[in-house]
Amino acid sequence: MKARLLIPLAGVAALVLAAVGAPLLPIPDPIHMTVGQRLAPPSLAHLLGQDEYGRDVLSRLIWGARASLFVAGASAFLALVIGTAMGVLGGFLRGWVEIFTVRAMDVVLCFPPILLALLIVTILGPGIGTLILVLSVLFLPGFVRVAYAGVLSVRSHQYVEAMRSLGASQPRIMLRTILPNIAGPLLVQLSLAVAAAIALESGLSFLGLGVVPPVPSWGVMIRSARAIMDRAPLLLLFPCIALTLTIFTMNALCDELRDTFDPHSAALRARRRRLLDFIAPGLLPDRGQAVLDIRDLSVEIETPNGVIRPVQKVSAVVAAGETLAIVGESGSGKSLTCLAAMGLLPPAARVTQGAALFEGVDLARADEATLRRLRGGAMAMIFQDPMHSLNPVHRIGHQIEEAILAHHPMPRRQAEKKAIALLARVGIPDPEQRGRAYPHELSGGMQQRVMIAIAVANGPRLLIADEPTTALDVTIQAQVLELLAGLKRESGLAMIFITHSLPLVAEIADRVVVMYAGEIVEEGSVAEVFARPLHPYTAALIASAPSEGGSAPQGVPGTVPQPHALPPGCRFAPRCAHRLDACEQAPPPFVTPAIGRGTRCIRWTLL
Amino acid sequence: MMKRIGVSILLVWIVSSVVFLAIHLVPGDPAELLLSSGGVAPDPAAVEALQRRLGLDQPIAVQYANAFMRLLQGDIGRSMKDNSSIAEAIMRRLPRTLELITAAGFMGILIGLPAGTLAAIRRGGWFDRVGSWLAALGLAIPVFVMGTLLVLLFAQMLRVVPAGGYVTFAQDPWLHLKLLSMPALSIALHLAPVVFRITRASVLDVASRDYVRTARAKGLSAHAVLVRHVVRNALMPIVTVIGLQLGGLLGGTVLVEFVFNWPGISSLLVESVSSRDYPEVVAIVLVISILFVGLNLLIDLIYGALDPRVREG
Repeated sequence: MKARLLIPLAGVAALVLAAVGAPLLPIPDPIHMTVGQRLAPPSLAHLLGQDEYGRDVLSRLIWGARASLFVAGASAFLALVIGTAMGVLGGFLRGWVEIFTVRAMDVVLCFPPILLALLIVTILGPGIGTLILVLSVLFLPGFVRVAYAGVLSVRSHQYVEAMRSLGASQPRIMLRTILPNIAGPLLVQLSLAVAAAIALESGLSFLGLGVVPPVPSWGVMIRSARAIMDRAPLLLLFPCIALTLTIFTMNALCDELRDTFDPHSAALRARRRRLLDFIAPGLLPDRGQAVLDIRDLSVEIETPNGVIRPVQKVSAVVAAGETLAIVGESGSGKSLTCLAAMGLLPPAARVTQGAALFEGVDLARADEATLRRLRGGAMAMIFQDPMHSLNPVHRIGHQIEEAILAHHPMPRRQAEKKAIALLARVGIPDPEQRGRAYPHELSGGMQQRVMIAIAVANGPRLLIADEPTTALDVTIQAQVLELLAGLKRESGLAMIFITHSLPLVAEIADRVVVMYAGEIVEEGSVAEVFARPLHPYTAALIASAPSEGGSAPQGVPGTVPQPHALPPGCRFAPRCAHRLDACEQAPPPFVTPAIGRGTRCIRWTLL
Repeated sequence: MMKRIGVSILLVWIVSSVVFLAIHLVPGDPAELLLSSGGVAPDPAAVEALQRRLGLDQPIAVQYANAFMRLLQGDIGRSMKDNSSIAEAIMRRLPRTLELITAAGFMGILIGLPAGTLAAIRRGGWFDRVGSWLAALGLAIPVFVMGTLLVLLFAQMLRVVPAGGYVTFAQDPWLHLKLLSMPALSIALHLAPVVFRITRASVLDVASRDYVRTARAKGLSAHAVLVRHVVRNALMPIVTVIGLQLGGLLGGTVLVEFVFNWPGISSLLVESVSSRDYPEVVAIVLVISILFVGLNLLIDLIYGALDPRVREG
C-alpha cells in the first residue's frame, strides 16, 4: 500500500484507538471536578492543565474524541447501510421504488444541511440519539447516489445478465455481484461522511444543540472555553487544534482513498518544464526549397511507468506546393512529430534531440514568442476531432476573427468581414448567418470546414492536417479533401497530411513517410512506394487496404508494441512474416537505396 | 427552462409539505413533544392550550389546507413566545444574513479564484504546493473554530476589533464594516479553499482540452488563451460549486452568527430552536429553503448564459 495512504490511515487508527481505549487509559476521570484547582496550568498530573471546574483537559480531549467519533461513526454507518440498501433497491427494481428511494433524496438536498438538522433537533430535542439520526439523514443522499449509480452501471454487465439467466434470485444477485463492485466508492463516501459528521457534530454541540454536557465533546469544550478566553486562551486552543487535526487527517484519508479508487481524479504528477538539450542540429546542407525540414527529431514523455520515446530520430522534408503524407497506426508517433514541430506538445512531452527547421528557424529550440508568431500565421494545423477542437462557448465567427486578430491587428468590423469571406471560401452556405452559430449547431463536416477556415485565415505557407477526415463520414471526407486540395493548388502551400489510411494517401499526397512505433520505416514518392514497397510493414498496410476488384483486404497480424516494451531488434520483427534471426538481434539501420527513398529493413533487396 | 422552473415550484411545494408534516411524523402528540423536556411530563392543561393555539386539535388534512391557504396569502404565522409577526422578524433579520453571505462570497471568490488559477498554471510549483496545503488546512478548520480563533487573536489579543455585535450601517458605517469583517472573514476562509480547489481542478481539466490546443495553434498570446479559452470555459463548474456553497450558507451562517452575535436570520433560528418555538422554526426553514431552491434555479440560469449548449437543452 502507498505511504501516502498509510500515514492518514495510521493517524485515524491512533485516534480511534485512543477514543475506544479511553476508559482503560491511565487518565483522570473527565467529569471529576476539583474546584480548588480551577484553571490550573499544565502540570505532571494534568499534562494540559485543568479547566474552569478543575477537570483534566487532556482526559476531556480524549473522551471528547470518543463522543465525536462515536456520533460520526454511528451516523455514517447508519447512512451507509440504509443509503446503500435504498440505492441498490431503487436501481434494481426501478419504477415506484426508484421514485421513493432515489428521487426522494432530491428533497433532502433542498434543505441547507444545518437547517434540516435544526428542524429535527427542534422536534426531538438535543442529545446524542437525535444527533445520530440528524447526521445520518443528511448523509443519506450521498450513499444512495453512489449505490444507485453503481447498480445502473453493473446491472447491464453480462455477468449480471448471465447470473440472472442461471436462475439466481434477485437478492443473491445484488449481494454477490453489485456490492463488491461499489465497495470502493462507498468507502470513499463513508470517509467523507465521517469527516463531515465530525465537523457538524462539533458545530451543533458548540451551539448547545448536540452533545449535552457534562459529557465531554470538543464542541462543548470550545463553547465553554469561549467565555473565559481572556483568562485561559489555552483551554480554547486545545480543542480547536484537536478538532482541526482530526478533520485534516480524515480529509487527507478521503483524498487518498479517492485517488486509490478513482484513477481519474488522481492528479498527474507535476511535470518538468520544457528543457531542451542544446546539441547542435544536424550538420546537413540546407535542402533548398524545404518549407519544413525535420531532422533526427526525438520526443520523450515521462509517464508513471518511466520515460518513453514515442518519436525517435524522425527526419522528413516538405517543400512548397508539395503534400507529404505521414502514415502509421495509432501510437506510431506521427501526430507527436507534428505537434513537436508546432511547439504544441502536451506538458509531459519534450523534444530531446534533433531539429525542426521552418524556413530556417529551428522550431524545436525557438522561444514561445517566436513560435506564437509563426503558429496560425505562417504555419497552421488542423486537428482530428473538429467537435472538440472548437471552443463550445464562442461563436464560430468569433473564433475565426480571433485567429486573424492574433496576427493582423485591425478593426473588429474588418476582421468580421474577413471571417465571413473565409467561411464562404471553405464552402459554408449562408456564411453571415452561420458565423453567429455555436460549434454544436453545426454538423461535423461544417465544423471541420470552420477549423480549416481558422487554419488558412492568415495565408499559411505550411499546413499540417492531423487526420482531418477521420471523424467524418465518407461523402463528407471527399468534400473536405477536395477543399484542402483546392486550397493547396490556389496558394502553393506545403502540406503535411497525417493519416492511417493508405487510399487517402494515394489520393492526396506527393510523397509519403511510413512510421511504425516511433520510427520512420519507409520513405518515398507515392507512386514508388505503392508500386514497390521496400518494408514488409508498408507492404502489409497496402495489402490490408481495401482495393477495387482486388483480393479481400488482409489485416496486419499482431499489435504495435507498447512504447515501454519495445523489442530489442527491429520493432516490426514480432509481426513480420519475413523476419530473420538477425532482425531480432540489433535494430536495423535506415538505408537509402535511391535519392528520396529509404527503408528500415535489412531484407529490402529481397522484398 | 420552463421545465426547470416547474420543477423548482414542485420542489418548493414538497419542501413546505415536508416541513409542515415533519412534526406529525414523530410518534406521540406534537404539543406534548414540544412542551416536554428531560423526560418530565408536561402539564395537560398547557398541552391542550398549545394544541388549540397551533390548531393541532383539528384533523390533519384541515390543518394542512389551512396552513397552505395562509401561506398563499403571505401569512407565515406568529411566534409562540410573544405572538409577534414572524414575517416581520424575518424581514428584519434576513438582509443582515444576506449581507454577510455576500461579503463572505466576494472575499472567498477574490482569494480562491485567482489563487486556484495560478496554482493550476504553475502546477507542481511552490505556489501550487503551498496553496494546496493551505487549502487543505482551511478545509479542516470548521467555521466556528475559525471564528473563535479570530476573536481570540484580533479581539482578545490584538484588540483591533470588537469581539462581536451589530450596529446598522446608518448608525456607524465604520463600526458596521469592522463588525461585518470578522464573521465574513471566518466564512471566507472556509469558502476560499473550496473555490481554490474547484478552480484549480477545472482549469487543469480545461487546459488539456483540444480547443485550447486550437487556440494555441492560432498563435494567440498566452494571456488570450488563458482568459478567453481556459478560464472562460473553466468557469462553469466553478459557478456551480460557488452557488452550492452560497446556498449552504443560507442556513450555514448559524455558527458564525452565534460566535459573533450577528443578529441575522440564522441566529433567530437558533433562538427559536432553543425555545422550541415551532411555528417560527417552520417559517424560517420554509423561507430559507425557498431561497435555496431559487438560488439553484439562478445558478442554472447563469450556467445557461455561460454555456450555449445548455441554453436549448
